[in-house]
Amino acid sequence: MSRLIIKYRWLIISMCFTGGLFFILLIPSARTDPDMRNYIPGNMPSVMSTDSIEEVFGFQDMMLVLYSDSSGLTSEGLEILRKTEAGLKELNGISSVISPFNIRTIKSEDGMMAAERLVEEIPANDAETDDLKKKILENSYAASAVFSPDLKTSVITLTLSEKTTENKILEGIDSVIAASGNEHKFSIGGLPAVRRYIMKDVRKDAFIIVPAALFIMLMVLRISLGSWKNVLTPFTVVALATGISIGLIPLLGWKISIISLLIPVILIAVANNYGIYLASLYDRINRKNNGSAQSTIAELLKLLKTPILYSGLTTIAGLLGLVIHSIIPARQVGILASTGVAIALLLSLFMVPAMLSVSNSRDNATKITKTAGIFPESFWVRISDIITTHPGKILIATGAIILIFMAGILRIRTDTNQEHFFPENHPLRKASEIINTNFGGSQTISVMITGDIKDPQVMKGIDRLTTRIEAEKGAGKVFSISAAVREMTKAVYTREEDGYNSIPDSREAIAQLFELYYMSGDSEDFKQLLNPENDKANILIRLSVPEHEVIERIKGIIKESAKDIPARVTTGGYAVIMSDFTGSLVKGQVFSLVFALVAVFLLLSLVFRSFKGGLTGSVPLAASIIILFGFMGFTGIAIDPATALLSSVMIGVGVDFTIQYIWRLRIELAEENNIKSATRAALTSIGQSIMTNALTVMAGFSALIFSGFTSIRFFGYLVVISIASCLAGALLTIPALILKFNPSFVRVKDYNQKTDIYENKVSDSATFSADGKSIGPAA
Amino acid sequence: MTLLGSFKATLNLTITEKNGSVRSRVISMASKSYPDGTEKRLIKFLEPADVRGTGMLITDYKTSSDEMWIYLPALKKTRRIAATEQGRNFMNSEFSNYDMSSPALSDFKSRHLEGSGQNNQWIIESIPVNPDKISEYGFSRKVSYFTIDGYRVKKMEFFDRNGNMFKTIEVMDLKQGDNGKYIISEMKSSNLLNGRSSVIKFTNISMNTPVEDSLFSLQSLEQ
Repeated sequence: MSRLIIKYRWLIISMCFTGGLFFILLIPSARTDPDMRNYIPGNMPSVMSTDSIEEVFGFQDMMLVLYSDSSGLTSEGLEILRKTEAGLKELNGISSVISPFNIRTIKSEDGMMAAERLVEEIPANDAETDDLKKKILENSYAASAVFSPDLKTSVITLTLSEKTTENKILEGIDSVIAASGNEHKFSIGGLPAVRRYIMKDVRKDAFIIVPAALFIMLMVLRISLGSWKNVLTPFTVVALATGISIGLIPLLGWKISIISLLIPVILIAVANNYGIYLASLYDRINRKNNGSAQSTIAELLKLLKTPILYSGLTTIAGLLGLVIHSIIPARQVGILASTGVAIALLLSLFMVPAMLSVSNSRDNATKITKTAGIFPESFWVRISDIITTHPGKILIATGAIILIFMAGILRIRTDTNQEHFFPENHPLRKASEIINTNFGGSQTISVMITGDIKDPQVMKGIDRLTTRIEAEKGAGKVFSISAAVREMTKAVYTREEDGYNSIPDSREAIAQLFELYYMSGDSEDFKQLLNPENDKANILIRLSVPEHEVIERIKGIIKESAKDIPARVTTGGYAVIMSDFTGSLVKGQVFSLVFALVAVFLLLSLVFRSFKGGLTGSVPLAASIIILFGFMGFTGIAIDPATALLSSVMIGVGVDFTIQYIWRLRIELAEENNIKSATRAALTSIGQSIMTNALTVMAGFSALIFSGFTSIRFFGYLVVISIASCLAGALLTIPALILKFNPSFVRVKDYNQKTDIYENKVSDSATFSADGKSIGPAA
Repeated sequence: MTLLGSFKATLNLTITEKNGSVRSRVISMASKSYPDGTEKRLIKFLEPADVRGTGMLITDYKTSSDEMWIYLPALKKTRRIAATEQGRNFMNSEFSNYDMSSPALSDFKSRHLEGSGQNNQWIIESIPVNPDKISEYGFSRKVSYFTIDGYRVKKMEFFDRNGNMFKTIEVMDLKQGDNGKYIISEMKSSNLLNGRSSVIKFTNISMNTPVEDSLFSLQSLEQ
């Protein structure tokens, strides 16, 4: 193999670069998909329910255009708002507009019923403005949908149609707002706005974070590996594997989602490991071989090929656990990331040796060996001393830490509110805050009632459900046809009469109230609440607190109340989809993790030809997962679409560190059969490489703090904790575990992988006395 | 619709939704015109059953706001309703109140369009005289097609503020009254925006038969 690599090294390098470049060039054609709804399989009950509701009542997503003026309600402000409303109405792709100028109040005045517009005319003077303010405050039912209680913010609510792309409509809205000349007073909210910011920020992130992460990694690698040649080799593997994986997205007809950002992240964490091991060892072997490229490559591959291969295959198996995930982009990440790792594996085994042989230089090698490694040999000697002297204490401490973090898991919560992707000072968060506080929220639950809506029993059932939800904390505003019927009765009866503000007892009375309204109002006023055939009604619940717990509570109330309604009740809406999404997220994550852990256990058992070996190797991974979720529980960082996939990153890293350590320990044990000194030897040699790897990855992930998304920032912090715990697991817990229990799987009598290089290890790393204690680093 | 001195008819209103579902209403209607230009109408719902007996009494004054009363038998209530805008839907159909009345010609500027006078056809464009009238009538431009012989309207096209056609009315049948004037007996309004269409068909038409003034009273409405 080494002979072929040397012979065809230029061909290998050029083929790898050409192939990589081909895929990288495809990346700009990748399209972004910000709609979380597309992440969910279409056969999920809430998606199907929402589709059936939208078929009757149109899109349930709403877009809100806010106009804020600290001076409160003024003629000038109303004029700007009216012009904006007129401009918005003219846009293609807007199916309905609710504004202060078209929302109607139903009232009885001088024995006359009128469904009149809340703002009929713009006041011409202060007196008229005061009258209008009074009218608005008296008609809180209609006014609360378009004015904040302090009248400083007004809102135009839009529903979008399928006729035009969301992006085009949003561009149109922008131009209408810009034409008002008062852009600074406007802001937009609602899920279409969220999706747009996601789309914008995902691209921004891709252009800022990935290069930043790679740059930081590059610098850390330069410091730890000591030469640009050694840095560029693993770096090239990361760049090509990432480029090919992302390039596959448009090739497979997929779209970039917010979760797709994890692909470069996973590959940065995993793909450079193999290259680092190879590059850092290459110089040592090369120096010994006096610069003979072929013998160096042969020895290098003989030594590292197997652990790298096993590590790569285990990582791939672990990542493929995502394929059974219920969320579509998570499945795609599973496929793309495992493909990326496979490519990194191939590149590491073929291209890396080829590149190293091309840049072969004896002088350089000597120089590198002296500078390689962040921590001095004495550090490793000290660590080895602690582990070999106190393995029991280390295990107790590990157990205690795991138990503590287990308690944190109980406090973990989930968050699928897309608004929380953005930091608190983001314009969208500010707009959402205003909408949730003053206008009942922008995220909705829709309840479709199918039956004879004019039947008083059905209408009263709708009314009971409406009233019950209105009283629920977190439900901002509830729109239903029963509330409209109540308003109609207010216009027909006097306060003293029985029928005032109530649902009539006869079908005819309800039908006639509708006729009465149509004479004065417009049937279009109810188009989101009642279909023209009057056999379907929609209760639209806007959520002021669009959190998972609130949604689940309201869903429970709907389910319970539905028993009292003699009609079919269908619950849907974006908020419900999100709630189901959360359930799927957690369930999917649990399934994927179980799958990954089983796969890792089996593969490790196979690698070490021992179930005990599989179990021991799985410990750091399992412990790190517990620590991660426990930490999230304690700190209040919720499981969201990004953080849920963290464990996938750990699978790659955790397995790699463990395999590398145990493999090296077996070599050392085959050499001298003393577990303590073998542990010291393994730690001082491979420990250095593992540490370099971990620090590089942690440094790379620190770039995530520049992300525009809060959850991606959290992801950055969490990944550092995860990798640190994997590192501690591989370099503290595993050695302590093996020292304490001395399992047979670490002892291999005839070890083929043992090479001459290890005979020189003492002079390369540290010198040990006969009793195993360090007597000082090598000169 | 051209109203004659007095008029009685049964009106069948059929509304067809975009999805093909159909709703029907049957209404009896009586109207009378007075020398001062006032026009009174009494409308009673015959079908569907749940609104049977619901009635409306409308008085169109030429010089002041219209007056509209509605009687709801199930609630045993008679309420006066604020005068509706002409542009608002008539009985939740695709016809507007304007389509059902005789608007003042002075509210529009009218002219012949190109091609008018040819092929036995007048093509007349009518534009409301000011923005208020546009709001009131609910369109910014109307193009009507008449036959030259008999001046019978065949079709009307309605345009919004952006110049987009949003509604058409096709006259499907006309009936001639005793005085020689024509009355539209069947017409179809198609809403190009929401895909709905409505057809009004007049049957049992009786023109210029004597109608008592007492018919247009609240007592009569509540009977």
